[in-house]
Amino acid sequence: MSEQAITQAEIDAVFPKVAQVVADALGCELDEVTPKASLIADLDAESIDFLDLVFRLEKGFGVKIPRGKIVEDARGPLPEAEFERKGVVTEAGLARLREFLSEVPADRIKTPLKAGDVPRLFTTETFCKVVIRAQRAAAA
Amino acid sequence: MGHDAAAPRSMAIDSGLAGKVALISGGSRGIGRSVVELFAADGVDVVFFYRDNAAAAQEVVHGVQTAGGKCQALQVDVTDAAAVAAAVDQVVESRGRIDVLVNNAGIVRDNLLGMLEDEDIRVVLDTNVGGVFNLTRAVSRHMISKRSGRIVNLSSVAAGKGGRGQSNYAASKGAIEAFTRAMAVELASRKITVNCVAPGVIETEMSQAVRDLADEQIKARILLRRYGQAQDVAHAVWFLASRFADYITGEVLHVDGGFKME
Repeated sequence: MSEQAITQAEIDAVFPKVAQVVADALGCELDEVTPKASLIADLDAESIDFLDLVFRLEKGFGVKIPRGKIVEDARGPLPEAEFERKGVVTEAGLARLREFLSEVPADRIKTPLKAGDVPRLFTTETFCKVVIRAQRAAAA
Repeated sequence: MGHDAAAPRSMAIDSGLAGKVALISGGSRGIGRSVVELFAADGVDVVFFYRDNAAAAQEVVHGVQTAGGKCQALQVDVTDAAAVAAAVDQVVESRGRIDVLVNNAGIVRDNLLGMLEDEDIRVVLDTNVGGVFNLTRAVSRHMISKRSGRIVNLSSVAAGKGGRGQSNYAASKGAIEAFTRAMAVELASRKITVNCVAPGVIETEMSQAVRDLADEQIKARILLRRYGQAQDVAHAVWFLASRFADYITGEVLHVDGGFKME
């Protein structure tokens, strides 16, 4: 899976609206929603909030974001057995995450990382990229 | 204050339901119809799904509208997830929200297990369980965004008390009670309550065959020695949807004349 790199200009274009949607979904102040803010660790999001957030992004941007798509994309071309072992992300998996989640400060992607904790890494910028990919998919 | 569902503006106590939007599945007949009529009488903007009896559905809509209530019927098969999602989106589009969901649609295909066809098992589980999953998934995402909502599921006395020839139906209703508790946990942080009403033997078309078959035997198991009326169940659903049930979630409210005690 090779995708055309997402540019900073593309991210800047969607960020204000994504940040507003995040603030609305999580009930937090807009100025707390920085590009690098982890939604779970910094903004106290729960898993159910991701559901709401994706729903609001779909409505706000007029795009479709299939269920499970973000985690599936994060794993990329790696088969599940190579991405994680016994629920813990492998070295190969971590390397893939550092590449795919390039917006996440590298020191947050470290072993041991439980596969179920991957969403803890997601930042506001992660969702900007989700929207951009969905917009590209819709345009294709 | 009358006991009759069609006694619209006589309710002196404010249930908090006036102006709310409710979606009710299986609203053209039986218990569902009573819920539609009671909610509409309390000022709720009601949308209900029906499967195939358009004439009955139109009769309900006409009756409610003639009494000054708000009501719309949509033909939707609850086992069709895509159709359910589209219909729910349509309701939200036109009304802005859904405050109350009543998962009422259900069917029976009674027979001894050894006599049940695969289809009898599948269709009961698909409708009574699958339909509830489809509707709740489609509606709850809107409720999550609004951070409020009421979900009331129709179970049955059969979920707790064994009934000969009802293995498929009993299993489906047991699943609904378990589903209710799980959803109560999942949705509590978004201020959405999820409860069940478990009717006993109610005088509706659906229970006609059972009542014909074992009338005295059944009544002997009911403490109050009579069958329930659809309105008895509707009042329980109304209560759980009202502000009086603000602090109740994950519960099963039995409306069975004491059947479960015997």
